[in-house]
Amino acid sequence: MSIHFLFPKPAFSAGNNDQKDQDGDVDMFVRAQRDNFESKVVTPGQVITADTQYMRGHGTYLNEEESSHISSVAGVVERVNKLITVRPLHTRYTGNIGDLVIGRITEVTNKRWKVDINSRQDAVLLLSAINLPGGVQRRKTEADELQMRKFFAEGDLLAAEFQGSFNDGSTSLHTRNLKYGKLRNGSLIVVPPALVQRCKTHFHTLSCGVDVTLGLNGYIWVSKHSSKNLDELDPEAIYSNDNEPVDRSTRETIARVCNCINALSRHFMCITDTIIAYAYEASLKYPVKDLLKLEAMEFVTTEVRHKLSVVRSIY
Amino acid sequence: MAPVLISALEADYILKGIDDNLRADGRGRLDYREVILETGLITQAHGSARCRLGEGTDVLVGVKVDIGTVDIDGTEEEVATVKAKRGRVVCNVECSPIASQQFAGRGADDINNELTQMMSRVLNGPQGGLNLEKLCIIPGKACWIVYIDALVLDYAGNIVDTMFMTTRAALFNTQVPKAIIHDLGDGEVEFDLSEDVEEWERIEGWEHVPISVTLNKIGSRHIVDATPLEELTTEAKLHVMVNRNGKICGIQKSGSGSIEHSLLNEMVQTGRSLGQNLIISLDKMLLQEEYDINEKRMRNKPVEKLGFFAAT
Repeated sequence: MSIHFLFPKPAFSAGNNDQKDQDGDVDMFVRAQRDNFESKVVTPGQVITADTQYMRGHGTYLNEEESSHISSVAGVVERVNKLITVRPLHTRYTGNIGDLVIGRITEVTNKRWKVDINSRQDAVLLLSAINLPGGVQRRKTEADELQMRKFFAEGDLLAAEFQGSFNDGSTSLHTRNLKYGKLRNGSLIVVPPALVQRCKTHFHTLSCGVDVTLGLNGYIWVSKHSSKNLDELDPEAIYSNDNEPVDRSTRETIARVCNCINALSRHFMCITDTIIAYAYEASLKYPVKDLLKLEAMEFVTTEVRHKLSVVRSIY
Repeated sequence: MAPVLISALEADYILKGIDDNLRADGRGRLDYREVILETGLITQAHGSARCRLGEGTDVLVGVKVDIGTVDIDGTEEEVATVKAKRGRVVCNVECSPIASQQFAGRGADDINNELTQMMSRVLNGPQGGLNLEKLCIIPGKACWIVYIDALVLDYAGNIVDTMFMTTRAALFNTQVPKAIIHDLGDGEVEFDLSEDVEEWERIEGWEHVPISVTLNKIGSRHIVDATPLEELTTEAKLHVMVNRNGKICGIQKSGSGSIEHSLLNEMVQTGRSLGQNLIISLDKMLLQEEYDINEKRMRNKPVEKLGFFAAT
């Protein structure tokens, strides 16, 4: 019931890049990387290289005298042969075909839905691209067109796959798989899209008993574990607007995972299922609501970093 | 990005969670998020403060005091005589479009108006706290006008509470220049502003300025400090303004739902007790900050206001 007040904290001093270990040795690999501009983090207006042999890609421009490449966004420099690009850290989601995204319906229009996927434009979900109840291969009828809200109404959250782009740059989605569709029994967390890595599958079940769906556009859905096999899923029920009952301990676990993901995103760490699992274990020290506090978040993220460095040093 | 839409399934999940006293982020119904507070970050203003609630809602308040004429045109004589001997408070609240997509373009006009009126009503009202009589320089002619400008920089729910907390902190930080009155005889009075910054005084009555507690009715329960998704499932909101002595200085209801009589009573009492706790913590924090600054000054150490360069 009590409220906590804090003072603001100063930023870290950016001078200690040379970390000496106990023998006083400096990691030369890091030093070598820094002399080469690849993987360097740059800010808008910073000079990337004065070498004009490179071609400039997205996120760069040539200065007035045409003598050096300057970055126009805040991000990481990437080089492919002679092409320099800067991949921004905070950017809208730009999709690739086959990506799993989580979206929210913003509009219901003629034979299609407009879906917000945290991108520059709303994506389009065609009526012909969803699973219709009554059999996966059923053809759409006129009645379906008139009852589109029966499937997805405004505000609904769904998991879909990126199908392709239209000529004007807008993207199209499909949910033609029983694992896609309306999301239920859980809550949504929004993180920067750059933190979600592409991997084999985006539907994870954590050992603590919750399902995490990592949308590549930065929307993450944490929900109660659905133990139903995909074949047993009733096609009628996939569009229902009812939640299953969620008991208190599952709710707590979901809240804990949500707070962990939040802590990771605040400290700009990658989000994958193993990292979430590490963060979850580290967070068990605190009660769930204390994970909203800054010191708890810092503890969790330092623990995760520590575990990751341990794992890396083994390989 | 704050959502403007919510799905029925999410709303149901939130509703059931609140029923069970376990919200989506693990808080109980009456738990607040952490607040990061700093005062005095705007050097050109007479007083300023910035509050960040959770990692979301960010409100910056600047207070400027300016000489103005007393506004008694068109009021009856009794009211005019009272007004002639007081200063006044002019509030302005602006929700910046960077806070949320729903504030872009004209979207913020309604909420700006609502918040401005709310602040104005409370601070100019009889329970506003500030000693308006002390702000009068020459009765009937010149007075101090306190301009309070609040800017909402980021939105993650619960703007009203943050706004009032920050205003109280900014008023704590406000220093009013001293006006020296010269009596020229024949009823003519003139005044001058003292050049000495040391003679500036803290605005009187800041400790009686009320803060607000917003209670959101969801289902049959109520919560404080709602996140944007919780605010979308709210049927009715009750803003309860409480001052240091536990007196209720204002109540405002918004939202299209209704509140039953017994629930209304309960909500007001909850708001009152939470409000008092809030004021105690806030005051402790403000006094601690001032003490730290004075300590640093005494030891000749530089006093740094982090302002927008703070890491957290």
